[in-house]
Amino acid sequence: MSYLREAEVSSSFPPFEAFREHFGFVPKIYLAQTLLPRLIEAEAALVEAVLFQQRALSPIQKECILLVVAAAHDNVYGVTRHYQRLRLIGMAEQQIDRILAGHRQARLPTADAGLLDFALKLARHGAPISQADVATARAQGLSDESILEAILVTAWANFLCSLSTGLGVAPDFEPREIRHQPPDFSAESESTEASIGPYLTTVENGPGGYAAVLQEQFGFVPNLFRAQTRRLDVVGAEIGVLETLLFTGDLTRVQKERILLVVSAANRNTYGVAVHSQILTTLGTPPDETDQIALDHQRARLPEEDKALLEMVRRLATEPHAFGRSDIERLQECGFSQRHVLEAVVMASFTIFLNTVQFGLGAKPDFTPRRMFGPAPPKKAHLSSPEPRPTPREFAVDPDAEAIAKVRGGDLDAFEVLILRHSKRVYRTLVGILGNADEARDAVQETFLKAFQHLGSFEGRARFSTWLVSIASNTGLQFLRERRPLDSLDDDEFEPDGFRPRQIRAWTEDPEQFYSRTETRSLVEGAVLKLPAKYRVVVMLRDMEQLSAEETAAALGLGIPAIKSRLLRGRLMLREALAPHFARSAKEVAP
Amino acid sequence: VISCADFMTEIGNYLDGDVAAEVRVRLEAHLSHCETCQVVLDSARKTLQIVTDSGSFDLPQETFQPIADRVMARLREAKT
Repeated sequence: MSYLREAEVSSSFPPFEAFREHFGFVPKIYLAQTLLPRLIEAEAALVEAVLFQQRALSPIQKECILLVVAAAHDNVYGVTRHYQRLRLIGMAEQQIDRILAGHRQARLPTADAGLLDFALKLARHGAPISQADVATARAQGLSDESILEAILVTAWANFLCSLSTGLGVAPDFEPREIRHQPPDFSAESESTEASIGPYLTTVENGPGGYAAVLQEQFGFVPNLFRAQTRRLDVVGAEIGVLETLLFTGDLTRVQKERILLVVSAANRNTYGVAVHSQILTTLGTPPDETDQIALDHQRARLPEEDKALLEMVRRLATEPHAFGRSDIERLQECGFSQRHVLEAVVMASFTIFLNTVQFGLGAKPDFTPRRMFGPAPPKKAHLSSPEPRPTPREFAVDPDAEAIAKVRGGDLDAFEVLILRHSKRVYRTLVGILGNADEARDAVQETFLKAFQHLGSFEGRARFSTWLVSIASNTGLQFLRERRPLDSLDDDEFEPDGFRPRQIRAWTEDPEQFYSRTETRSLVEGAVLKLPAKYRVVVMLRDMEQLSAEETAAALGLGIPAIKSRLLRGRLMLREALAPHFARSAKEVAP
Repeated sequence: VISCADFMTEIGNYLDGDVAAEVRVRLEAHLSHCETCQVVLDSARKTLQIVTDSGSFDLPQETFQPIADRVMARLREAKT
């Protein structure tokens, strides 16, 4: 199941009971560490604080981070486990697949997409997050507490990836093929200078117990922990893992500090290198020797077996794809026991955790760094197909600006260009409102005539296409009032008890595959046309034309709450109408 | 504690990612043990996907040339 043997542990071993309660089973990544049960206990406390505690981020958000980070590292163990977990807590496979294929196209809420962007950027070692990334995340609606949790979960994801690679842990479930396309951040402005933090606000917690412990164990309180005072429970658990790693086990303290130093250097983490150089110096290693270990441990004056130990952790940190059983065997040939190997792999992986947290928080070095690391050159391995970042609407140039200017300058033919460019969209809006194709065509004509008349009042604050849709809506509503006064759009009768779903059979995984495109389309059109007009209009504008709630409200002269409640009702009615066609048993039994 | 009815009133906002973090946590807590709401959420999300992807009410571009011609004729008429 892994490169190392497992030891017997009592069935009532508390961490395993906690895992069973939470995950339903004991993940193999912990079984692979049973040679050091105290370490599992310390990790379980950190899992409890980072993953199980529900504070700012939801379980689904955390699992999504774990999933995409594992996928970005091509880590089969992690992808398999987090895929299953997401399914179990209620996410449809199709949606998980979509997130894996590229979360920016997965219709995720802005804050969730921003969360995954942030996590993926942070998960790539050596590309430090900057103040600008934190500002972006805040602008996408993430609180400082959410960002801190995102950093911690990302760091934990990196830890699990490194640990599962280092120990060769077999997946807990049937392994999943990884088809993942993370966004290409290289096109986005990335600071080439070391960014100075801390980026997040902290809270004053007074002289917390953690400070005393650190003062006693290390002689100072590292800024890395000071920057996380919002979550003293996490700080406590991190210190617990660090203490267990450093002060128990079979490797010497100096060997472990060297691992912290070499892995931090491999990750180009200036902070980690400064701290562990300083600690090694206080433990008696001369500064220039410490520098040499950080720079190139193979050329340091160290026994061969110590070099082999450091080479193993360096490879784990920088070349996980090439890492394998032979790396472990090489250490055993040098005389290291299975427990030594386990300690070294966990130490290296936890260094990656600490480095990731530091990159995310921008904690300032506690000592003047003897060496500054800039960001590593971007890793190309997984970034084969760069995807252009969509230009935010407000900064985009309206593609119609030129034609509009020509029309205003007296060039009538330019208006025909605009008609042909937008008539599909205008027609869709109108058929949605009127529910009748012939009327909709008449209304298209009317809409463009009105648009021409009022072109002088188009100020370019909205896009021309949006402006046009609002004219189309008004035209459609006017037609409706004139021709079918009974199909009212305005009554917003009080509906006391919420909408009760009637169709509650689960749907098939990939509903669209059971019908041809034409069939699906006619099902949808039929269902949309059966909606009462007031819901139909909102569904058309929001879901078909993809207008924002604000734009829809403006186009229809309604308030945002009315838009939201009508959209909800319309969508749920469509769901009821489509359910008989897409619910599971109806389709999957028959070939 | 959140009821299924509460979940139904928030499901639209949830699909659009328009709920506060603490509401989201509560919704997902409900979701984790309510199979009915899981089904409704999943099928609502699929509905949305199907509706957006369906290409409904799309007409071929050539359908619109006659409409454009009529509009342009009216505009030219008005100009002269």
